[in-house]
Amino acid sequence: MNAFGNGAPPGPRRDVVVTGVGVLSPLSDAPAALHAALCRGESGLAPIEEIETGGVACPLAGQVRGFSPAAYLGEGNFRPLDRTGRLATAAAALALAASGHDPDDPREWGLVLGTMFGSVRTIAEFDRRALTAGPNYVKPFDFANSVINAAAGQVAIWHGLRGVNATVSGGAVAGLQALALAADLVAAGGAEVLLAGGADELSFESLVGFDRCGLLCGSNGHAGDPHPVPFDARRNGFAPAEGAALLVLETAEDAAARGVPVLGRVLGSGAAFDPSRGRDAASGAAAVARAVRGALAAAGLAPGAVDCLAAGGSGSRALDSREAAGVAEALGERAATLPVAAVKSMVGEALGASGAFQAATLLETFRTGELPGVAGLEELDPGCPLAAVRREATALEAGVGLATAVDRHGGAHALLLGAPTRSGIPQEGD
Amino acid sequence: MGRRIVVTGLGAVSPIGTGREAFWNALLAGTSGIGPVRSFDTSRYPVHLGAEIHDFRPGDHFVVLDPATVGRASQLAAAAARLALADAGLGADAVEPERAGVAMGTTSGEPREVEAFDDRCVAGELDRVGPEFMDLYPCHSIAAAVAAEVGFGGVNAMIPTACAAGNYAVAYAADALAAGRADWMLAGGADSFSRITFTGFARLGAIAPELCQPFDRDRKGMVPGEGAAVLVLEPLDRALARGATIYAEVAGYGLSCDAHHMTAAHPEGDGAARAMERALAAAGVGPDDVSWVSAHGTGTPTNDRLEAAAARRVFGERSRRVPMSSIKSMLGHTMGAASALESVACALAIATGRVPPTINYRERDPECDVDCVPNEAREMPVAVAMNNAYAFGGNNASVIFREHRP
Repeated sequence: MNAFGNGAPPGPRRDVVVTGVGVLSPLSDAPAALHAALCRGESGLAPIEEIETGGVACPLAGQVRGFSPAAYLGEGNFRPLDRTGRLATAAAALALAASGHDPDDPREWGLVLGTMFGSVRTIAEFDRRALTAGPNYVKPFDFANSVINAAAGQVAIWHGLRGVNATVSGGAVAGLQALALAADLVAAGGAEVLLAGGADELSFESLVGFDRCGLLCGSNGHAGDPHPVPFDARRNGFAPAEGAALLVLETAEDAAARGVPVLGRVLGSGAAFDPSRGRDAASGAAAVARAVRGALAAAGLAPGAVDCLAAGGSGSRALDSREAAGVAEALGERAATLPVAAVKSMVGEALGASGAFQAATLLETFRTGELPGVAGLEELDPGCPLAAVRREATALEAGVGLATAVDRHGGAHALLLGAPTRSGIPQEGD
Repeated sequence: MGRRIVVTGLGAVSPIGTGREAFWNALLAGTSGIGPVRSFDTSRYPVHLGAEIHDFRPGDHFVVLDPATVGRASQLAAAAARLALADAGLGADAVEPERAGVAMGTTSGEPREVEAFDDRCVAGELDRVGPEFMDLYPCHSIAAAVAAEVGFGGVNAMIPTACAAGNYAVAYAADALAAGRADWMLAGGADSFSRITFTGFARLGAIAPELCQPFDRDRKGMVPGEGAAVLVLEPLDRALARGATIYAEVAGYGLSCDAHHMTAAHPEGDGAARAMERALAAAGVGPDDVSWVSAHGTGTPTNDRLEAAAARRVFGERSRRVPMSSIKSMLGHTMGAASALESVACALAIATGRVPPTINYRERDPECDVDCVPNEAREMPVAVAMNNAYAFGGNNASVIFREHRP
């Protein structure tokens, strides 16, 4: 099926591969080191530093500590970029370098960025300055960054990306959504090579907002110690986090022509929405199941082909149950033995970045033969039908990995990635 | 070829009218929706004009949701979605909900919710912030509200690409249908009138003091506005099978990025021209086939000049003769809703053979050497309409609509 595709001539869908990854996470700024830490069960969660918390009792958060854009971007004028923009621009530099990006590459490079907020901090501070100092005293820089697509625009300016530039915002599903959209554009010929993933920063405004909704671990209505442990019986909300992660997506043909290593293949994606807007558990699980089934159908795979899951599980009481139930519904008996990684147990809920962290986890699992587990898991929630969820990492030769995400406003996404050399999946040149 | 995609329903909520017919009649009559801002006090600002919707009652449109559970942009969007579905004659039983999706664009999402948060902060009342802030504020609550109101359980996308977002949403929806990811899509955009947006454009000196007069030699700026528009898109075969009214076909789109400056367009309109060229290629039509252009046309001195330059690059000598209206002269700049409302205008121009004017036009600007359909609507056959939209972040999006010939 040919998509419509941004000026693409009609033609068969092209195979899309990943040729680079850049991450800025609470644990590491290198995919391999991040993965090793995740497999060891290390936590990047710690008490909040450097930002105002507004009195929110949130003892655990995932921050990119000591982040300095110059370390990634060299000397330059960073003043026009806010923290979200800097995180995204630095992650883009890492991804471009990892993919062997050549500045003379004749292709038009583009970007699809997933973000929940852009920067709600920039937006709110701009507004508060107008309220307190007067509207003539706001900074034009800040207004430029007050649009939700600001980070994507900043990345494009910094790195000279003149192709497709899109921002998608689906809350916790934004990262997977961005990857799916980018893969569709490349597959259809609407773009040649795209950076795709997500970014969000941790801020006073998001902390207070999440707290008031009772979403954070150990705060506002959640009794006991903070326990942001996905799928655990005692989980009590998520640990808020920040970060950025971008993958380079291009055609298998281009990657082969450039002679760069392929880290994995995009096999298919699926998306659905829960019309109850997250208010009904069964409706929410059904949406997750539809997303997973959609991804399987797009990839032409049966549930039994899925070797592992990089779950969106965050420690949320409601969403983790919904995700587990939906995945189990879609995968049937495969779900009972499916190895599961829940990276948010170690890096927190980094919103737009999360889906790209999950995708990076699958790619590293293909490379290393080891899938992280769920750090801190004590007792699997008896209501969670993913029975193989465990605390420790799992050794496995994975050929197909599934990433899923669910958002409290109703969105559900699934993405299937394939190992670069899995038998049965055509390789470049076939 | 992939599936052909057509427009079969139109819903608009705007400063000059709500509903397809009221909106279109107001556009053709050259009605201005611009006036003194009422939703907040502008006495500390040097400018005072806005394009607000004064008579909007969400309860007139909502069937499923309680309007109080969503923000204003979501209210405008869900109302536009209801209007579009009714216009398309698509009842709940005519749609398979799991194959029906939503793609919406916005600039600011629900800025009034963060403004309320800021008011509390500044007043030292942080303890009075409740769950409504995070329940209502995130921009993807708009697409969620639309889907929840109409019961659509398929793909759901919120695309906050600022003032080009409506076109991005139409493009996303057309792709979703063409690729078989959905069989019905609601595509559009929404933004509410916002203190933050007004403050920002005022600070940039971009707001017109008296009149919004795109392409005029004396143009002095844009006017922030609010609104929502939603289009029903379907594959042609389904639309024909159910005997739907087909307003137009979505023929193609083009996206590009200036990668130049956050708020200023490329000095030669390069990104804008590349988006237009890509859209023409996608649609399989040449520049000479374009009957009418719905311009981005904000009314700022720079935008309109660069847009004319980009049009010259794409249309050549013919750029002086291709009719190119800016309906922002009437609606103000409704931000994420703008190119969605303009998409509605494109579909109706094709369906009715009339194009709306650019009002407030008095004197030709040699740097904007275009036929902006000054002040009076024009009767003319429109076989191909091009909708241009440009945004902060250098995001450019052009969509081509084409007459559907049976």
